[in-house]
Amino acid sequence: MSEPMGEPAIEPALTPPLTPGQIRGRRQWPLPKQADPAAPLLQVRNLQTYFKLGSGWVKAVDDVSFGLTDGEALGLVGESGCGKTTTALSLVRLLPTNGRIRGGSVELFGIDLVAKSDLALQRYRWREISIIFQGAMNALNPVIQVRRQIAEPIRYRLGQSEAASQKRAEELLDLVGIPSRRLGAYPHELSGGMRQRAMIAMALACDPAIVIGDEPTTALDAMVQAQILQLLEQLRRELGLSLILITHDLSVVAETCDRVLVMYAGRVAEEGPVARVFTEPRHPYTRKLLGAFPNIRSDRRTLETIPGEPPNLLNPPPGCRFAPRCPQVMPVCTEVVPPEAVFADGVRVACHLYETPVHETPA
Amino acid sequence: MTELLRLTGLEVHFPVRGSVLDALRRRPRRVVRAVDGIDLAIERGEVLALVGESGSGKTTTGRVIVKLTSQTTGSIVFDGQDVSRLWGTRRLRDYRRRVQCIFQDPYETLDPKQTIHDFVGEPLEVNHVGSGAVERETMIMGSLEAAGLRPAADFAFRYPHELSGGQRQRAVIAGALVLNPQLVVADEPVSMLDVSIRTELLRLMLDLRRERDLTYLFITHDLSLAWVIADRIAVMYLGKIMELGPAEQIISAPRHPYTAALVSVAPSPEPPAAGERAKRTILVGETPDAAAIPPGCRFHTRCPLVFDRCRTDEPPLIDVGAGQSAACWLAEPGPGTAR
Repeated sequence: MSEPMGEPAIEPALTPPLTPGQIRGRRQWPLPKQADPAAPLLQVRNLQTYFKLGSGWVKAVDDVSFGLTDGEALGLVGESGCGKTTTALSLVRLLPTNGRIRGGSVELFGIDLVAKSDLALQRYRWREISIIFQGAMNALNPVIQVRRQIAEPIRYRLGQSEAASQKRAEELLDLVGIPSRRLGAYPHELSGGMRQRAMIAMALACDPAIVIGDEPTTALDAMVQAQILQLLEQLRRELGLSLILITHDLSVVAETCDRVLVMYAGRVAEEGPVARVFTEPRHPYTRKLLGAFPNIRSDRRTLETIPGEPPNLLNPPPGCRFAPRCPQVMPVCTEVVPPEAVFADGVRVACHLYETPVHETPA
Repeated sequence: MTELLRLTGLEVHFPVRGSVLDALRRRPRRVVRAVDGIDLAIERGEVLALVGESGSGKTTTGRVIVKLTSQTTGSIVFDGQDVSRLWGTRRLRDYRRRVQCIFQDPYETLDPKQTIHDFVGEPLEVNHVGSGAVERETMIMGSLEAAGLRPAADFAFRYPHELSGGQRQRAVIAGALVLNPQLVVADEPVSMLDVSIRTELLRLMLDLRRERDLTYLFITHDLSLAWVIADRIAVMYLGKIMELGPAEQIISAPRHPYTAALVSVAPSPEPPAAGERAKRTILVGETPDAAAIPPGCRFHTRCPLVFDRCRTDEPPLIDVGAGQSAACWLAEPGPGTAR
């Protein structure tokens, strides 16, 4: 199943990214009717998504707010069960049957998607917000050729003709680097990297405003991961994609995202520009998380551990949810939910260590 | 340090089942050469990491060592004794007591209907170790405690679903420890775990090495993980070792272009500085089919530094000094890297 080998290439220089104005101008399809052209691309406010279990509600996402501007890449990071995937899936309400959005708003171009009925929301799924899922083998239909699968949303969501949608599918597969002779392939005939490329082509099919990548490179080998991340970077620059990348791998975020949102136990711990958060983490959890990650570019040192386990979200502790594991815990942490402190460099941190609401950037 | 295990000329071939049509046309049977000639020695007390992408043969090598797969040719010498052909003998049982394995997915290793006490105790029963119930009990509890499930009495009678992911992997480690092995083959033991739990388990494994005189063969696809835990790293590609040497040197001064490319794309949690991205070497295409290994150097189809000789002659592992060797025609003894 090997591909023909091209010239082994050192990474080429990248084209300069598009400006936000150019990105809106590139849209192939009109904005939804109720859209406010002046509104930000995405604004999530105080989102609460709970899951019903026999014994109560699991507060998987509790009071999460963030925004996304045109052409921006936001990384959602955290350990398993911190609510990062639930947050992203709540945007288009692709939740399991026991999941409910209990509060908050998700505004896309100023339109609140939480208030929409399931039927009305369909207009936004795939056409405005699409998702690259982790396991391409499970997300693709094994008995349909990949070209047909990619043509399907173009045909049904955008009402294009059979011929036009097939043609567009071919263009998309070419864009993501699948050779034209593999167009008729079935998913099992493609390698893992190729399948993930096909998933990316499918996510781009309707020219969406936002693409969500749910662990898009987790199951891939290092070299294939580098290839896919390079492709995403290139697509971002050429098409001006706005990207939400969900991952547990901090290094993927460091390499591809502009901003990062660190989640812990359903809440935002820290959010800000990647360059700031990763070089100068302020929340004790972010510090621990970064310290636990091997970095072959720095010294070989002992990695940090985070003793204990994340709390049970059926009955989360009052106050800060990280308090039971926090090395810098204070009496107030176990009682009062920490307010968000906003720093001048655009970082916000939910931690009692930073008392006043607005901070100067630490030296 | 003395040598604990030595593999010489190890090859593992898997025949591919051809179609009826192939048989009618009398086409030769295709063979996947998963492991294609490995010479490797593991020193007593060291952590040797076997790093490679999927299909590199790293897992097959591990399975041959623990005798779950038989080799096609080549020999395995363990503690001075040839253990290449032990099938169905008493010595095999003895060997298996001394060489244990840990796999990636604790869900598949543990039986959901068995308490971890019984899971850890099973190898004792099977191997008739321990003279009675009391002695076995002490061994089981000691093993659970050593794996960090303390106090053991709190954990022993739980079922796997009553444990967290990290605790489940600790139970698997306890099961591997109970027979007091000398060599532990760990195949991606922490790949399913979150970073914070991962570190604790790596520390546990390193502590156990000291306390119990263990030697590890640590199989992983993650070069940065290998770098953290290993004394030496062996990099595999398409069934052969491309480079072998002390962990620090493999990362800081790789001599094989494949290792250099892997190091250059290894993700790090530091945001790249301006212009740094251009330094990455992203190889084009995919690993070739192991049933059709390219002639000459098997890496030549993707190598950025390929030249004529690579297409015809296969380079041996060339000693470049300081315990490092690379299978590349560009690797000359002396300082400098292959890049």
